[in-house]
Amino acid sequence: MNSEFEWRNQMRKLGGPVEPARELWPDIAARIADAPAQSVPRRRIAPWLAMAATLAVAIGAGTIAYRGSGRGTPEQSTTPATLAPVAQTPVAGTAPLADAQQRTALDWALPADPALAASAQNLDNASAQLQGALEQRPDAVFLVGLLNRTNAQRLRLMRKSPYAG
Amino acid sequence: MQSAAISMNVPGFERPAGSDDAALVRRSLAGDVAAFEQLYRGHVGRVHGAILRLVGMDRGRAEELTQDAFVRAWQKLSSFRHESAFSTWLYRLGVNTALMELRGRRDVKEADVDDLDLAAGGDVPFCAGERGDLERAVSNLPPRARAVLVLHDVEGWKHEEIANELGMAVGSSKAQLHRARGLLRRSLGGEA
Repeated sequence: MNSEFEWRNQMRKLGGPVEPARELWPDIAARIADAPAQSVPRRRIAPWLAMAATLAVAIGAGTIAYRGSGRGTPEQSTTPATLAPVAQTPVAGTAPLADAQQRTALDWALPADPALAASAQNLDNASAQLQGALEQRPDAVFLVGLLNRTNAQRLRLMRKSPYAG
Repeated sequence: MQSAAISMNVPGFERPAGSDDAALVRRSLAGDVAAFEQLYRGHVGRVHGAILRLVGMDRGRAEELTQDAFVRAWQKLSSFRHESAFSTWLYRLGVNTALMELRGRRDVKEADVDDLDLAAGGDVPFCAGERGDLERAVSNLPPRARAVLVLHDVEGWKHEEIANELGMAVGSSKAQLHRARGLLRRSLGGEA
């Protein structure tokens, strides 16, 4: 009864489509009437992807800087970072996250070490650009992953801030 | 937490008309709201179902997020490149919307990790007798553990995909799943 197969089978039964309990379309229709579809030239997408690759390098540089500073291990920080809110791409109709405050905190929490502070600034820029990229490609899983890694790295650097506990 | 008596359709729900979707997407891009409504009607169940499970069967939140996902889909339709099925693009967009909302709720259960550590246990939870029990137990998991469990065990994602989506190492995704299952086992009375 407790086999992996039976468990997976049982869990899969929880899946599948679920129709909303109420009609959602009228609200959606009202909202999209106020928010016409954006016309994004497709040629703009490739530069976003190139930028994402560049950002990956920036994140790597941040990691190297952090490791070079001789504190903590990357694995140690991964889980808390993913629990932390990131400055999100605003989604129409959702409350803009309380992340504005988080971002503000991140902005001023620069490490004392100038080299780390520069890396932190780069990561902040990277985070902002990734959010822009997500606006263009809202389904792009790898961009969400990059954004998470950027913010995880930034949180590690924030812990080196003179204001950090 | 709301859970029981959610009506679900049988698996095998994929709409067969991918080519119809392509035409509807083109019409929607030209501003045809009626075409977009057809896309909505055809896919809302799958999108809403995934979101509902990710937010712990909270119907109100799931409905809001489903609306957000479709509004966002309308706004970003021009970024759909027809390289995958529209249903896949829309589903991923819906999951992204739910996960981003979860990430914004740091207040929800700050003690996730401690809870999970306490729940370390076997790989396979005790089998729940009733579907409602299982739904409730999953709903009560801490948000991040629930996300990993739902994406892996219910939605059928691979650890690599989950790790990418949640910005964690593959090993962390596996560990989260192991711990989430441990919590479920305890919640369902597996230690008794």
